[in-house]
Amino acid sequence: MATLANRLRLSGFSEMLTTSRQRRENFYGYLFLTPWLLGFLGLFLGPGLFSLYLSFTKYDVLSPPEWLGLDNYVKMFFDDPLFYTSLGRTFYYAGVGVPLGVIGSMFLAILLNAKLRGLATYRTLFFMPSLVPIVASVVLWKWLLHADFGIINQWLIDLGWSDPPGWFGDRRWAIPSLIIMGLWQGLGGTRMIIFLAGLQGIPESLYEAASIDGATALHKLRHVTIPLLTPTIFFNMVLGVIGGLQVFTAAFVATEGGPGFATTFYSLHLYRHAFDYWNMGYAATLAWFFAFVIVSLTIWQLRLSRRWVFYYGS
Amino acid sequence: MAATIERLPSTELRADVYRRGRNRAQRAVTYLLLTIAALMFAFPLFWTVSSSLQTWKELRSFEPHLFPAVPQWGNYAMVFNSVPFARWMANSFLITAITIPGVIITGSLTAYSFARFNYVGKEVWFVLMLGTMMIPTQVTLIPQYVLFFNLKLINTYVPLTIGSWLGGGAFMIFLLRQFIMSIPRDLDEAALMDGASPIRILWGVLLPLMKPALTTVAILQFLGDWNEFFGPFIYLNRVDLFTAAVGLRFFQNIPLETRDPRDHLLMAAAAIMTVPVITLFAAAQRYFIQGVVLSGLKI
Repeated sequence: MATLANRLRLSGFSEMLTTSRQRRENFYGYLFLTPWLLGFLGLFLGPGLFSLYLSFTKYDVLSPPEWLGLDNYVKMFFDDPLFYTSLGRTFYYAGVGVPLGVIGSMFLAILLNAKLRGLATYRTLFFMPSLVPIVASVVLWKWLLHADFGIINQWLIDLGWSDPPGWFGDRRWAIPSLIIMGLWQGLGGTRMIIFLAGLQGIPESLYEAASIDGATALHKLRHVTIPLLTPTIFFNMVLGVIGGLQVFTAAFVATEGGPGFATTFYSLHLYRHAFDYWNMGYAATLAWFFAFVIVSLTIWQLRLSRRWVFYYGS
Repeated sequence: MAATIERLPSTELRADVYRRGRNRAQRAVTYLLLTIAALMFAFPLFWTVSSSLQTWKELRSFEPHLFPAVPQWGNYAMVFNSVPFARWMANSFLITAITIPGVIITGSLTAYSFARFNYVGKEVWFVLMLGTMMIPTQVTLIPQYVLFFNLKLINTYVPLTIGSWLGGGAFMIFLLRQFIMSIPRDLDEAALMDGASPIRILWGVLLPLMKPALTTVAILQFLGDWNEFFGPFIYLNRVDLFTAAVGLRFFQNIPLETRDPRDHLLMAAAAIMTVPVITLFAAAQRYFIQGVVLSGLKI
């Protein structure tokens, strides 16, 4: 924000408003911005503020909102056990799934970045699962991980695991099942491509210098590749956390939040209040708290990044 | 190997051969790891197709069949006969036919505004736009639903498509803006000297150069709409309006005339709805990669 103020001052704020060139810039700038601006105000800012208001009310869409003050917030923190359960499950899912996904994608990209023949074919193969629509992927994985007839359990039995997991049907294994499915879809997708782009940005000269110093491949990985990839790791972590915490479709289609609330993630809990019980006010409270959590986590990651993200050349 | 090394005259060459041997081992390990990963990624895809061609009795046996005894192509026909899957696919296509022009037109206009004009408040709007990416969709969900409900727009495609005609979302705009910024300003300036209006510059100078970025945006929009579940799920409750994604889930749960298991049919339906995406990917692979590179990592 400080830079913004400075820039405005430097460019001569008053001058900006008066000269004809500037008037023209203002006119066309705003003219072309109009569609987005309408969307921003009408579909984002307006609804966002309205949902903030709703979070202090009881509202079922059909009758007008009824002011409750802080009741919804009190209920959320003290009288809704599923609030904590669903938050915990969401953190479990994102906390395990996102780091595994980011690290996995990074290693796939490193393998693909070797200068070898035929790698384009591998890259295509890795990318394919990310194209499968989530709903289709759920249908597939529910069958692959079917407790009795799933081919994976049949293999596990052949390997000597006499009592393999019930996967989606088992409280303890439902979230791991979703994580496995998410990894299959996500590891080779855009995240891996982002890592490949990051790898291509590492100057070859650094590897040559390391070779002259007698570094092995493992040394190079640890002291050149990974440090120089930290900005990309960070970027993917931030996006991954924002996306991972909002997990909905996979769990809703696969298990509808079950068995026994095992996959009732925060967004499912919110959905139930909004569209099953028509507690729109309380759902808005849940939504605003969720936004607070996600924004805080993002800011926290930005802060933390100063300690571990390394920008080459700065 | 050892014999070769002994015959070499200098230690330098010996080191070279040693390094070459190490490289060969490294390469073998790399290929091995890549192949294992490739099998893990490819098997579920193979399994979708294979099990979509089996009978449910083959699927529900304790002896897994990697291949159907006789490919049951009739399973695919059964899908279309059991549920209006063709209609649902057509609906999904219709939605993308509305949204793709929307994001191309309004997204380019917004990106043009951010990339080429210098106006009061621009930086604030730009930061706000990027900020929208951080806010979970749930925050605006309820008021948006109430809005469309009161406007009697439930069971229409308006709620699902209007956003694409209002800029198309922060990510698309950002991607297009990055691309416009990479086009030399001299081109605009030259056209300006010739008396071209800003709209003329966008239309005549920039848009033709933006084809790769626009293709990428169109593809991303298609993928997003094709995959989208939640919006169609809450805004559409008439079966004939469903999209393929919502329809597939519906098919998972509705009672059918026969009480036989429908795993094979579900797999066929999953395969059917994946075909358009894979076809698109095969036809335009490079744009998928370009989208990522364009969006730039340089936020």
